[in-house]
Amino acid sequence: MAAKLNASESLDCSDSSSSNDQSVSNRSSNRVAEKERRKNEAEDPFVLALKYFSDVEAGTPHQGNDDFENNLALVEKVAYSRGLPPEAISIMLEFAMSLRMGTSPVVRVLKCLIPASVVPQDAIVRAVVWLGISKITAGTQVLFIKWVLTIFDMIDAKDQLRAVYGFIFSFVTDENLCPFICHLLYLLTRKESVRVFRVRKLLDLQSKLGRQPFLLHLLSLYKVFCPELVTLSIPSRMRSGFRNHNSPWKSTLIIVQKRNGSQLASIVNPAVTLKDKTSSRKRKHWHLEIPALSSAVNKGAQTEPSRRKVVPLVQIQSFAQLLENMHRVELPAQMGSLLGSSLALQYLDCVQDESALLRLNFWLGYALHEEFLFCSDGGASQNSEEALQLLDKLLSAHHFLQEGFSSSEAFLYKFLNVWDGSLLRPQILGLLSNIPVVPSSQIGQLLFEPLMQLFFTSSPFFKCGLMESLNNMLRKWLTWHSVYALEDDLDISLNSHTSINMTLSGFKDSVMELVHFVGRLATIGLQLEGCHSLLFNFILDFYETVCDMFLKYGLPLIVMPPTGVFYPALFATDPVSVDRLAYIMYRYKVNLTSAKSQEKLTEQAFHISRQTFREFNNYLVFMVNCLWNSKMIHLGTDIQLGEELLLKSNVPQYWASFDLIHHPAFMNYAVDFHRRCWPGRKDMDINSIKHSKPWGWYLEYLFTQGYDGLKLFIQSNISRQLPAGDGQGDKLSTDER
Amino acid sequence: MGDSLKRLLQRLIRRIPTQMLKLTLEKWGRLTKAQQQSMDFTQPKWVLTERLLGICEENEWTVKHITELEMIYVMDNPNQGMWNAFQLIDPEDDFQSVELMKFKEQFKYHLGELVKHVSVKMKKHTDEAVWIRIAWGDSFSRPNHLKPTYVVHQLQAPYVYVTSLTLKQKPLLSQALILATRYQALKDANLSGRNLTAIRDLLMRQYQQVFPTRYPSPLAEKNETVSNTHIEREQAMFAANRHRMSCEAFGDGTLPQLQSVVYKLETKFRDHTNKTMSEREEPFRCVVKFASTNILESLRHCASSGIVSTPVTPLLSSIPLKGKNYFVITDNGPGPSSQKRQPQS
Amino acid sequence: MSLLKPFSKLPTLNTASILLVESEEQFQQSLADALLEETAVTMNVRLAKSLPLPKENEESRPRIDLVVFIINLTSELSFQSAEASLKHLDSGYFLGKVCFLVINARNASVPIERLDAVRRLAASLHCPLLFAEDQTPDGVTNAAERLLTILKVAAGRVPMATALYLSNLTRCTVPPDIDQPSFD
Repeated sequence: MAAKLNASESLDCSDSSSSNDQSVSNRSSNRVAEKERRKNEAEDPFVLALKYFSDVEAGTPHQGNDDFENNLALVEKVAYSRGLPPEAISIMLEFAMSLRMGTSPVVRVLKCLIPASVVPQDAIVRAVVWLGISKITAGTQVLFIKWVLTIFDMIDAKDQLRAVYGFIFSFVTDENLCPFICHLLYLLTRKESVRVFRVRKLLDLQSKLGRQPFLLHLLSLYKVFCPELVTLSIPSRMRSGFRNHNSPWKSTLIIVQKRNGSQLASIVNPAVTLKDKTSSRKRKHWHLEIPALSSAVNKGAQTEPSRRKVVPLVQIQSFAQLLENMHRVELPAQMGSLLGSSLALQYLDCVQDESALLRLNFWLGYALHEEFLFCSDGGASQNSEEALQLLDKLLSAHHFLQEGFSSSEAFLYKFLNVWDGSLLRPQILGLLSNIPVVPSSQIGQLLFEPLMQLFFTSSPFFKCGLMESLNNMLRKWLTWHSVYALEDDLDISLNSHTSINMTLSGFKDSVMELVHFVGRLATIGLQLEGCHSLLFNFILDFYETVCDMFLKYGLPLIVMPPTGVFYPALFATDPVSVDRLAYIMYRYKVNLTSAKSQEKLTEQAFHISRQTFREFNNYLVFMVNCLWNSKMIHLGTDIQLGEELLLKSNVPQYWASFDLIHHPAFMNYAVDFHRRCWPGRKDMDINSIKHSKPWGWYLEYLFTQGYDGLKLFIQSNISRQLPAGDGQGDKLSTDER
Repeated sequence: MGDSLKRLLQRLIRRIPTQMLKLTLEKWGRLTKAQQQSMDFTQPKWVLTERLLGICEENEWTVKHITELEMIYVMDNPNQGMWNAFQLIDPEDDFQSVELMKFKEQFKYHLGELVKHVSVKMKKHTDEAVWIRIAWGDSFSRPNHLKPTYVVHQLQAPYVYVTSLTLKQKPLLSQALILATRYQALKDANLSGRNLTAIRDLLMRQYQQVFPTRYPSPLAEKNETVSNTHIEREQAMFAANRHRMSCEAFGDGTLPQLQSVVYKLETKFRDHTNKTMSEREEPFRCVVKFASTNILESLRHCASSGIVSTPVTPLLSSIPLKGKNYFVITDNGPGPSSQKRQPQS
Repeated sequence: MSLLKPFSKLPTLNTASILLVESEEQFQQSLADALLEETAVTMNVRLAKSLPLPKENEESRPRIDLVVFIINLTSELSFQSAEASLKHLDSGYFLGKVCFLVINARNASVPIERLDAVRRLAASLHCPLLFAEDQTPDGVTNAAERLLTILKVAAGRVPMATALYLSNLTRCTVPPDIDQPSFD
């Protein structure tokens, strides 16, 4: 009993000594522990057991061998309760794979290889070599590769494993091993491992075995790295190729990790507990639980960082460290785990090598496709926490990188075609606003058609959400433009990583398409929803972005809102819409004025069509006349209502019913003002506000109510020498040439 | 302790789910109180197995004990393998149902005569059924306890249910059964499934019966859940009709669980343009198999939802009626098979 | 062979009637319940397995403002049944008073060709094609909401809008082939 206690104690010590703190205070205690451990080691039965396995001679029989039984039982006990330390893994693996006691104990040993922290890669490499030379049964070989796949993320480095890539590749021809070897290769592949002869071999195999998913997956990864070598067309709808192989170890591994993790509770990300419910199908989600695991990797490697050439990304904890190790960062096996860490994203952002991004895109494409687009259960588990978290993480990664991934873009184009408009709405709309500029030739088919159908059949709240998302999309496009536009030639590269180049005119076309599209949505949406004021708000938000494209984002393009937005806004019953319209018109004026002056300055800079000026002037004149001059003058343009018809309506003084006093949105202000101005008066005559003096006061009063847009509009467009005078006093510099 | 015994125990424990292990062991009653208490059933299976192997050695259990445990487990969980039903026919003239002790004795005796190495174990279940476990060997090898055949027979009824029986063993078993029960022949009842009770119920007619009539039965007033007067089913009449017809074919109670129905068509190939096929001596064979977790329920649903045309073809309705799920359709058999459509369940 | 006609009856005041056609009769019930949540108008929901509708109900049947074909994409039968039922609709319905509602479109077992076929069908008839998630309560509510949006227009409850106008905006177009956006 005493011996047993010792064993566990010594393990505790070794755990804590290497665990986390490197603080000075702990070092001394570590040293004490070290001494104690040495002292204990001599009689520690676990150490003795390991010694037995490392020294046992080849050919020793195992049947009826009590030494063997007892020692193995001891190792199993430690393994199942707290996992094996790295040296123990090496010893046991070497013992098993060299078949020193024949084939029968191998399975039992493999099953108990539960790592406590990391797995030394030398051990794996040696075992792989044994795989080549010893006579291990096919089933056991498979079990071994499954084990490697299960603990892949716990292997302390992969450089040597990559060095024997070719050797591992040679096992592909083994029919039993092939699926598992493909998976392992998939995890190990880098750009330089893709060679013509390997591609040929795989294609060869494919013709023999048929289109097996594991071959296809490996080939499609090869294609990602070297598209010129793999000419094969990969089906877009692939079944998940690599299955979960961790079943023999999974439960124990989780238990051991949890137990060890609880000792390191301070480091462990609390988010881990959320994701305990691993369904077997989700190996790809498994990475999301890695935080506990990766901290375990940390401690092993921190003690001797100089020995290894590469540094796993999970070990880097600060930006400074990242900068130092930039050239030798080792990417994790599960690319998806990058999404969760801001350091990893920073790495992605600045690294020149495209393979990281390629791999992430590749992983993401399949994950999104399988999780959301074509799931096997037809959507029952769709709102599961996991899926939501994945999308949220993706969105925050987008946000962090300030750009989207091409795979999420492609996913979205497909998803919009089968979307019901409510499933994961915030996330999908978020993804939508991250879409990089779409060429104008395709924007209609990819985006507008599905969106239009969704927009017109959905509730006003969906309409608002879509408006907001399109506004964000436009803003992002414009920001990209202002950041990436090169001054000398007008090419802009839209995305720092993908090499899509677009001419300025192409970009302008896309923006124009988008603005016109939203104009159509807005016009008809307002009509169908009866000028829903919330929807109005989002539409005006959009035009606030549009009116400032020239000054704020330096894009030489000015597009006026359609009449279907302008007039409803002007005649809206809520003052906020009118005020915002006034602000938008004010910004249009500022933009147009400055565009014009610039045009005069640099002759050929750009050309704003007369039509735009004419539209603006028409709007402006109508607005001023309507609000200020109590006139309804139509300059032979948009709205033509017969005089007789208006007279027939029997509205007294119909021409004045939309001035600042009678406008339905401002009427109550006028009444309130009247009451304050002439508190004694019994009979209300709001027309009396029109006199010069109260008019000025009334305006002041309106401005104090927070109608800044109105204020800017009036100040910039109306010179008030002639109060309530003729609207022609506000001649514009931007008037028609 | 022999290796084979050890393997037998290991395999058995592996088959029994952990949560049932305790109860099964208790029922078995071969563990001492102390041993029973020393077992910690929260431990992983492999630990328990090791412990039981230890106890096995301690108590010097033999194959007999282990097979006993196996029988207890199988009798409690009969729905593991595929059960085939057989019918005993032509009782001898002076027939009267055999009494249990005599049957036991006779069966063992006759089987022992036929096969040299065979191990037979019998146990009476609460519902009057005799459970027989047979481990087969042949003249050169000892009985293989790893692949036993289970036979269930109710002495009052002429049916026998058998699982994992090979073709080679079938005549032997048949012979022994005939001699022990004093019938003249054993014939395949063409019924199989994973659920033993379902098969028995179907053969013994222990479920709600329907009798085909030519007159629409007065349907019991079903309180149709009229959820809302604003929702109107246009084709409610047809739906009710289909429902009635499907109930006429399959009844409206719970149906016994069968997993599959197989139709084997043997007919002459008729096609004037294809001489080679139509002039063949051999009949044209074609097998249609319907599978579901509960095929009768599925078929009833197919009929009531209109996937299968109503009135239900006798091919389908005769499954519960005749208690068969394997049909051979020959040229003068009932109805053309083209009436059927694939059920989607 | 009786055709269902859109204008053979007079509309009832403040009423909207919808006909849900689904061969499997699974989703229509829950959808009908969700549709009745709407309180602004009197809703009449008629459920059918297929068309034509039985003659006996002709009297009691209100004027149908919108016919919805529910197609379960995992079943070929469902599609065929809807296709067959279309023949029993008067051509007047195709001026904006028919729409298709597809469920299970994201199921992995759905052959891609079937979705294309449904799309082609809807496009050739100039009808809108909606997708719905029938497994979740949210999905059902949302589907009902969207149908109501169309129904209100079709029943003339939205000023300045007609069924033909809306269906012109929402009608399905020929299936786009966007497996790989060709610009990357």
